[in-house]
Amino acid sequence: MTTRRKIEISEFRILAAPLVAFLVLFLGFPAVVNLVYSVSEVSFETLRRPALSGFGNFAAVLGDAAFWRASWFSFRFGLLTAVIECGLGLFLAIFLSPLIEKRSWLLAILMMPLMVAPALVGLMYRLVLHEFVGPVPYYLWAYLGASISFLGAGSAFWTLVAIETLQWTPFALLLFYMAYQAIPAEVNEAATLDGAGGLQRLRHIELPLMRPTIVVALLIRFIDGFRVFDNVYVLTGSGPGGSTASLSIYIYEAFFKQGAIGKAVAASVILFAVSFAVLYGLNAIAARRKGKGR
Amino acid sequence: MIAALRWAVFAIAALALNFPILVTLSTSFKSARELSANPGLWVWSPTLENYLAVFQVSERLNIFLYLFNSLAVSLIGTGLAVALALPAAYAIARGRLGERTLLPLIVNLRAVPLIIFAIPLYMMFQWLSLLDTRIGLGLILAIVNLPLALVILVNAVNDVPPELDEAALMDGASRTQILVRVLAPVCRPAIVTSLIFGFITAWNEFLFGLMLTTSKAVPITVGASFFFAASGGGVQWGVASAVMIVGALPPVLLGLVMYRQISGSMTAGAIKG
Repeated sequence: MTTRRKIEISEFRILAAPLVAFLVLFLGFPAVVNLVYSVSEVSFETLRRPALSGFGNFAAVLGDAAFWRASWFSFRFGLLTAVIECGLGLFLAIFLSPLIEKRSWLLAILMMPLMVAPALVGLMYRLVLHEFVGPVPYYLWAYLGASISFLGAGSAFWTLVAIETLQWTPFALLLFYMAYQAIPAEVNEAATLDGAGGLQRLRHIELPLMRPTIVVALLIRFIDGFRVFDNVYVLTGSGPGGSTASLSIYIYEAFFKQGAIGKAVAASVILFAVSFAVLYGLNAIAARRKGKGR
Repeated sequence: MIAALRWAVFAIAALALNFPILVTLSTSFKSARELSANPGLWVWSPTLENYLAVFQVSERLNIFLYLFNSLAVSLIGTGLAVALALPAAYAIARGRLGERTLLPLIVNLRAVPLIIFAIPLYMMFQWLSLLDTRIGLGLILAIVNLPLALVILVNAVNDVPPELDEAALMDGASRTQILVRVLAPVCRPAIVTSLIFGFITAWNEFLFGLMLTTSKAVPITVGASFFFAASGGGVQWGVASAVMIVGALPPVLLGLVMYRQISGSMTAGAIKG
């Protein structure tokens, strides 16, 4: 290695250093605190003097039915919303693309929900679904003669799924529209010359070409659904009866409402380990696929 | 025929997706009396009284403060994220530094539930007296914005022909000078995109605002819920709706004006992420 190259590398190190320092301070340090406190006996009074206590906190979390219930909620919520959002988004992207190609501002109208804070959207639905002033129960009474309690025990989960889906379908739509537009025109022209109809082209050419985007969109939407907090928190808290607590809400409540620091931190560490294991696993699979493709 | 069907589907989708926004907008123009009689979408006699009420500063509620806090923390969080990400993006794209460690780590961050860092950050902020400060919340929002900013900027630097900075290198410029004088101007569209995207994300953030602020640094996403219990009794829906419209307006306007840049960056972030 020449001196010149060495100087360059050290210059690059200096350029990247502020970011690394920032990450160490605001993510590395908290990660260490998480690890230490998760194996400690700690309360708000002894916050600075945690006493090591082994794996009791982990046992408490893993033995807590509410933790498993929240995990199941997060998983089911993430999976359902991801599938519905991507299904709807795919349909809209392909069906509406002839309109959007000519007038791209139509896309802006469909994208508007993405610009509003999920917390505010959650609050907005408190109005929309309100039994006296909300238009949805009002129109249901007017036209069907009946309405349901949208945030009651039986329906709260599905109401939340619908709300999350309606806000984030535009994200999937946008991704799929871009991928759909990126399909080279020649490919479709060639297929048409060979006598392929619209549906055949969709099934055998367009959808396979869009597959990587579909996988990525499903993954992103699953992750965002899995870690949901804002809209659920402002709409139902975790109720009724803890039935709509996501893992994020479980951790938040363990810490702020119950003051169970050890439990909250141990749950964080579990979530941390699982998330990174899954993500690095996916990265490895993606890298191997890429390698094979070459 | 099929075109009419497409328009019908578009109209239904636009209405369904934007329904909460439309309902809130309509309710914000209803008087208290009309509200109890008319839950429908149409406003009989529009009034601005709710907006006037929202901008009344009282001991408990101060919308100007919440809006200013949101603006300040969003600017800090966005500016800092881009300032940290741009030099790092240069080092990653050109120096191949941290391409296999730093980049995946930060990109994965976008997919990790940030609540797992929230509790130690809360304790850390308590020690550092950063709880309920704009600078504290701004720092956290920079973390939230970093992954996407880095992905956008690494892509942008990769798209710049290497000859450009090699020419400057021959002329004796240092890497830092090249970054400031050559790359930053060339990458300006990407920088603007990451600033817009970061600003919208930061403005709309809720979890950390809720955890790390209590009164002085409360952002509008958290402050808006204060109006729901304003009168002690029932919710004043007209006033609450006006607050939500005011709080949603800045990112929505920014998004409508810049939707081309945003759709591009969302796609880039998604493909790389």
